[in-house]
Amino acid sequence: MKPKNLSLLLLWCAMLAAILLTTLFSLSVGEYEIPFSHILAAISQALGLPFGAAQVLPPEEMAVLWHIRLPRTLVGLLVGASLGASGAVMQGIFSNPLADPGIIGVSSGAAVGAVAAIAGGFTAVSLYTLPLCAFLGALLSVGITVALSMRHGRIPVMTLLLSGVVVGMLLAAVTAAILTVVNEQKLQQYLFWTIGGLDYRRWEHVQLGLVPIGAGILFLLFMARQLNVLVLGEVEARAVGMPVTTYRFLLLLAAAMTTAAGVSISGNIGFVGLVVPHAMRFLTGPDHRRLLPASVAAGGIFLVFCDTLGRVIVPGVEVRVGIMTAFIGTPYFLYLLRRSRNTFTID
Amino acid sequence: MDKILEVEGLSAGYGEKTILQQVSFTADTGEMIGIIGANGSGKSTLLKTLRGLLPPLQGHILYSGRDAGQLTAGEFSRRAAYLQQQTMVPFGYTAREIVMTGRYPYLSWWQQEGSGDEAVVRACMEYAGVAELADQPLHTLSGGQRQRVLLAKVLAQQTPLLFLDEPAAGLDIFYQEEIFRFCRELCQAGKTVLMVVHELSLAARFCSRLLLMGEHGLLADGQPRQVLRPEALSRAYGVAMEAVENPLTNHMDIFTSLPARDERHREWLQILLGRTAEGGEAS
Repeated sequence: MKPKNLSLLLLWCAMLAAILLTTLFSLSVGEYEIPFSHILAAISQALGLPFGAAQVLPPEEMAVLWHIRLPRTLVGLLVGASLGASGAVMQGIFSNPLADPGIIGVSSGAAVGAVAAIAGGFTAVSLYTLPLCAFLGALLSVGITVALSMRHGRIPVMTLLLSGVVVGMLLAAVTAAILTVVNEQKLQQYLFWTIGGLDYRRWEHVQLGLVPIGAGILFLLFMARQLNVLVLGEVEARAVGMPVTTYRFLLLLAAAMTTAAGVSISGNIGFVGLVVPHAMRFLTGPDHRRLLPASVAAGGIFLVFCDTLGRVIVPGVEVRVGIMTAFIGTPYFLYLLRRSRNTFTID
Repeated sequence: MDKILEVEGLSAGYGEKTILQQVSFTADTGEMIGIIGANGSGKSTLLKTLRGLLPPLQGHILYSGRDAGQLTAGEFSRRAAYLQQQTMVPFGYTAREIVMTGRYPYLSWWQQEGSGDEAVVRACMEYAGVAELADQPLHTLSGGQRQRVLLAKVLAQQTPLLFLDEPAAGLDIFYQEEIFRFCRELCQAGKTVLMVVHELSLAARFCSRLLLMGEHGLLADGQPRQVLRPEALSRAYGVAMEAVENPLTNHMDIFTSLPARDERHREWLQILLGRTAEGGEAS
């Protein structure tokens, strides 16, 4: 086997091990500790395997595991994977390593949807309303951004970037305007949503996220080869016969949908979509057929890791995952920037 | 001879701005055609329009008798390859990954590259002399290596027609000539090359035919020695030009013959050297 393939194989093994380890930690740690052996036995029993079948597990421990920890961890993996994948795709579409999923107005749109749901009092109707409103808001915002940048049947990335900024500002103003008229309790609720978190996530959230995120990621993985060509720019891509606008539109839509689904079940979580693909590019190189799966895995690992750390870092208090990702992501990103000063060029 | 490319009454430009008017010429299989002319005379615009990257404002472009407007994006990219003047490659794509994008025209949207594509890519890189650079990121290569990688990418497209926009720009003399030698060999083997060239002596030595672009269109079309005449060149470049054959090398030497600088230039020179009172710094 060639050394390059070998190191890739090692990378995938390391990723797999990291996913299993962070998941195990996330299931175990918190205000209510569950020993590893109990978790493994519980999973083994649920799957009908012989390992640990005879072990008697305390029911309250199992309630925490199945109804609190497991959905929380799964939501973390899903959201992290969605942010990692769509971050890598956005950086590809914009041919710029500083792009992130929020760049075309996904997060600001989700915020408007969320604040509308909170202000209208729809959140009491069902657990599904807030995520659904956030999801619709995000898609609407991306739709407006793309529509504004369309010209003569083309989507120039520079215009897309600028309309993303403009739409983001406008929607931030809309959010602020709504917030000024709602009562304090709703304000608190919104604040809680806007600092993304994984606490109180339930199986309903897993259900909501699974299909759009799963389908979105599969589609993006399938488009990896096209993305490799699209990254080289409009002229280069058209010169080899690619229908640039079609693919740009499809990829934008899929990435936006994936992010929107993630944001709607967890609130806004920054830095994952920016840092994870960036870090993975150092390990896998820029070929999206390796970069995308690596970003999916690493996104999930990073988010669950941050969430677990947030539960234990300050005794008695839970630091929300949106805060943890920023605290860990920022210094790491700065380190990457400084380390690669000579090669960190867009051209 | 096969007319691989026919251009009739072509006008081209960007939206409202017409840059080329009434350009007509045909290209036979195996010709190596250099497009020369002053900056802004529309050489690149011509290539882009021929390749279908810019819509023609008027006129017709025929590829082996078929109207270029009727070709699908895929068909177009299997007939003509295009090398940009400046190719920006973001991130650390390796030479092989870039050359591999030349196989895009042969793959359906659901396909991945196969061993056949690998073989073509390897052959193109060997031919261009960059096989040993395959795993290096493009941004770590020198200008000459980079340009040969991009040439290999265009070759991997396996098209009968090649449009190259200043493929030798910015290269040292060896790599410049190397690019021209590659092109000549490719043309002898049956490909047809249209290339924008600034080095007129090189164009004269290697091209089988030259198109001289003037302010609004074609000024001259023919064999290098017929096109590279002082009158036509002076008109095209807007300055007095000389073209003489060097008796030692039998190559054409082409240069401008400008009148001597006048008095005002000498004054400006004194100012920019800081040697007069007006320049602010005396003594």
